[in-house]
Amino acid sequence: MTQMSTTRLGTVSLLLISLGCAGAPSFMAPHGAPADTEASLGWGVTIVAIVITLLVFGLLLLGLLRRRDYDTTPKHASNRSIVWIMVGGVLLPAVVLVVVTGFTMRTLHVVAEPAGNADVRVQVIAHRWWWEIKYLGATPDLMVVTANEMHIPVHGRVHVELIAADVIHSFWVPQLAGKMDVIPGQHNTTWLRADSAGIYRGECAEFCGAQHAHMDFMVVAEPPAAFANWLSGQRTVAAVPTDSLDLAGYNTFRVSACAACHTIRGADAFGKVGPELTHLASRRTIAAGMLPNTRGNLAAWIVNAQSIKPGVGMPALPMAAAQEQALLAYLSTLR
Amino acid sequence: MATQIPSFPASVVTESREIDERLERIWETPPGIVGQLSTVDHKIIGKRYLVTAFLFFILGGLEAAVMRAQLARPEQHLLSPEAYNQLFTMHGTTMIFLFAAPILSGFSNYMWPLLIGSRDMAFPKLNAVSYWLFLAAGTFIYGGALTGHAPDGGWFNYTPLTGPQYSPGLNIDIYALGLVLLGISTTVGAINFIVTIIKLRAPGMSINRLPIFVWSTMTISMSIIFAIPALTVALAFLFLERRFGFHFFDPGAGGSPLLWQHLFWIFGHPWVYIVVLPSIGMASDVIPQFCRRPLAGYAFVAMATVATGVLGFGVWVHHMFATGIPPISATFFGAAGMLISIPSGVSVFAWLATIYYGKPVFRTPFLFMAGFIALFVIGGVNGVMTAVVPFDWQLTDTYFIVAHIHYVLIGMNVFPVIGAFYYWLPKMTGRLLNERLGKWNFWLMFIGVNVGFFPMHILGLLGMPRRIYTYPAGIGWDTSNLIVSLGAYLFAIGVLLFIINVVISLRSGQPAGDNPWDASTLEWSTSSPPPSYNFAVIPTIGSRDPLWEGRLFGKMKSVLSRGPLLAEGRQTAGTSMLDAEPQFILGMPSDTLWPLIAAASLSALFVGLLLSAWSLVAVGGVTTFVSVAGWLWPRAEMARTESLDGGRSSGWWGTVCLIATEAAFFAYLLTSYFYLASRSTFAWPPAGPPSLRLVVPNTLILLASSGTMIWADRGIRSGSRARLRAGLLLTFLLGVVFLAIQAIEYRSKGTVPGDNAYSSLFFTITGFHGAHVAVGLLMIAVTSVRAWLGHFSPEKRFAVTNVALYWHFVDAVWLFVFTALYLVPRAW
Repeated sequence: MTQMSTTRLGTVSLLLISLGCAGAPSFMAPHGAPADTEASLGWGVTIVAIVITLLVFGLLLLGLLRRRDYDTTPKHASNRSIVWIMVGGVLLPAVVLVVVTGFTMRTLHVVAEPAGNADVRVQVIAHRWWWEIKYLGATPDLMVVTANEMHIPVHGRVHVELIAADVIHSFWVPQLAGKMDVIPGQHNTTWLRADSAGIYRGECAEFCGAQHAHMDFMVVAEPPAAFANWLSGQRTVAAVPTDSLDLAGYNTFRVSACAACHTIRGADAFGKVGPELTHLASRRTIAAGMLPNTRGNLAAWIVNAQSIKPGVGMPALPMAAAQEQALLAYLSTLR
Repeated sequence: MATQIPSFPASVVTESREIDERLERIWETPPGIVGQLSTVDHKIIGKRYLVTAFLFFILGGLEAAVMRAQLARPEQHLLSPEAYNQLFTMHGTTMIFLFAAPILSGFSNYMWPLLIGSRDMAFPKLNAVSYWLFLAAGTFIYGGALTGHAPDGGWFNYTPLTGPQYSPGLNIDIYALGLVLLGISTTVGAINFIVTIIKLRAPGMSINRLPIFVWSTMTISMSIIFAIPALTVALAFLFLERRFGFHFFDPGAGGSPLLWQHLFWIFGHPWVYIVVLPSIGMASDVIPQFCRRPLAGYAFVAMATVATGVLGFGVWVHHMFATGIPPISATFFGAAGMLISIPSGVSVFAWLATIYYGKPVFRTPFLFMAGFIALFVIGGVNGVMTAVVPFDWQLTDTYFIVAHIHYVLIGMNVFPVIGAFYYWLPKMTGRLLNERLGKWNFWLMFIGVNVGFFPMHILGLLGMPRRIYTYPAGIGWDTSNLIVSLGAYLFAIGVLLFIINVVISLRSGQPAGDNPWDASTLEWSTSSPPPSYNFAVIPTIGSRDPLWEGRLFGKMKSVLSRGPLLAEGRQTAGTSMLDAEPQFILGMPSDTLWPLIAAASLSALFVGLLLSAWSLVAVGGVTTFVSVAGWLWPRAEMARTESLDGGRSSGWWGTVCLIATEAAFFAYLLTSYFYLASRSTFAWPPAGPPSLRLVVPNTLILLASSGTMIWADRGIRSGSRARLRAGLLLTFLLGVVFLAIQAIEYRSKGTVPGDNAYSSLFFTITGFHGAHVAVGLLMIAVTSVRAWLGHFSPEKRFAVTNVALYWHFVDAVWLFVFTALYLVPRAW
């Protein structure tokens, strides 16, 4: 992407922002690859589309509004009509078709994942309705598992393997990469690269049932050093707490329903149904991007997730206030 | 030189009151409930289609209104997610299946015979059953909705979300069965249109004189024949997987979720054209009337219509660009999709030229058609944008697509439909609609549709996915969503004005007269509303614009008030395929209750399938058979049919169409088999190729039965009724033996359908073939009874010919099935 076209894109993105949409996850204002190339092509065809539409509107209005006498006696069609049909109906679309297909072929070449090793390889497992994110390490103990928050190094090329745990989903980070469906029994991959640090909204784009609306994730692009730091932090095992309240929460987690579904490495909890929670407290949101990860939200979520996200796999877990406080205290140690 | 009135062996007469009274006695629908339920009058059936489809439009609109209330503001809790998902599924299913196509069938049913100079459709009874089945399918689906089992998997219903594991409950079963039932209705309707246009045009109505609306409905009827079977196969797979443990879409058992998507879109993409081409055709016919000029480039527009229908079959992958298919094949399908912009462009510029060189008269029908052109361009151009593969990876499944489909469906279907109501309702009711109200109606709808749907493009570009029941505040989607909701309500007010206008018109509208628009086409030559027999004499057509001939050519080329009477009971003219030369006098059926009974029986069968009430399935099956036999049983009208040159009968053409759609059905079954075989990760077939021990002799038995059928058919041709009876009996016995051996093979296989996808396909394909053999046997049984009753002679043997045709088809299909299932695996 040259500086020149980046500037042009910046200018046109202003158009969208001026529509009152600042902050929207717009793929027309990309922040990385391959979304940048897709957006360039997108702007091109959008402009062509607008020009053609206005041209036809102009001809339609010209036909409707031009001055004429009021003689409405039927007469034969004009012989000149054929020129309209040939030029406007055949030639114009044919030229547009050839040009657009040409640019499409070129773009396909550019957006294809480059050969060679990616900087980061991530496995994304789409569940109803959350995203499991795995960083495969050289050895099993180096593997990092998290949920709904994908950290990547800025300028690093990320290879993403897509696995469906249940139904079809679609992996989409509008500002970084177009969609790739996540299909049971099929090995799909995609790639992306962020060109500037930031947090990018990711969404499930294929209808997947009751809570399709709340199946978001985020891509956190950070400087390589910060990313490496994060990754090594995620590799650590949760410590057994020493504080008595935290310890009570730790025990609650292990003996209650929690451990049946969730994994916390270091706490003998190996549940595989819900998201891994070893570093829960380090995440920005809970419930697949639905709520900020605050103590209050977490408390409400644990007690009655069904009222917040009806249909979600997390059951309502009413518990005594003291028990709940202890659990929240323990979860807040999972940094 | 005066136009030659073609010679039918019937008296040529001039219109008169006496003739009118005589024809009225022959054609009128008797009053009373039985009369209403047994009528086969295309105009009454057409009106029923229009009213029923419009009621579904209102229901679908109310569903949309509730959804737009939910989405008007972020994070609202007006609807539960389940309720929202049911609503958007019902909205899509209703608008696409229960409104957009049937409303066009309504216009076609009502208008076609009037446009082509006939007294009815080719198969009036089929027409009646088509309507009853449409009503039944709609009631079936809404019955599910009202009992809390509305389908909730979206109108394209992707598996495995809609499979047994993730969608227990009746919701998706109702979708599957309801759409199969509707598919039967649509298919028989399409066959009726095809045969009507082949056989029933007035003399002189050669194909280059047909209104574009007829061309377009003809095109989509052909599309329906080949598209619906893909959906039926998909739905049958889905139902078998859900209810009987078969595997087609489950990758764990060798299936693939993409099989559903391929089958659905092989149907779905042509379906988009099926619901817009006829309405675009209506616009092509209405615009010229108000521009006071014949359509510019008629032949180009007609060819463009056909080309669009054909190209529509090559574009289904257009909907699957993000499924991981190789980019280069995606680009091929993208380019093929864009290719459709050429025929579309031809039509648009033909309208533009017609308007530019014409003298537009701004009456309400014309306003809707002019508005349609603007919306057509937006809906076409944004469709081309989605055909650009890399950009579509961003656009697909966002609100941009929602904007696109609404510009397509509202722009290309609803606008011409409302315009056509303003244009043709005066013909149907004899009363004009109010112009002032009509203009308010137009502007409210036109502004409403753009305010409501244009911002959806922006929402899509801003990253809003479709099918979400709510969205977070503060990420830039709030304002546009509010505008969308307001626009949708504005549009709804426009629709309300239309309903009010219709009600006022029915009560106190201005009398329309025969031809209120001074239009050029044939339907305006008869009275408004038309008499039950449409035309007192069979008209002879000399040009595309019979009512403008005096002013265009300075003389009349058509003869409208003089012609053959054809009034020995219900009769109409049958003509040749291209030039509409007289070929037949066709005896048309009397009113009958059989279509209603057949539809009710078939519906009962489907309700039985839904509820696993097998006794109801059995009763429904038997009564369906009895009513079809009763329906086909010869009646007096057969005697009124007279062949002038030995051309093919309507029944023969109908059988050919039926065979074409059935052949497509088996083609999709076998394609599914090869698709899953090619993707299979285990050996295919898992236990090696199936044994040839039983199937080879069985194949020979079935082939022999074709031989005996030919022998029987030749027999009656040479006048030997004994040979006919013996041949039919032999054929019947060979067919029974085939089924028996098939059953023995099933028992000896040692596998069951639920084992894996291969097994499921083996049993499904051979099972469907076996079912066709069984149906063929029933047909042979009925024909045998008739042979014993002495119904056939060398001259009267239509039924034998048609049953033989069907039987040979069933045998031919077996050769494909045998090759694919038994021989091909040996070559792998």
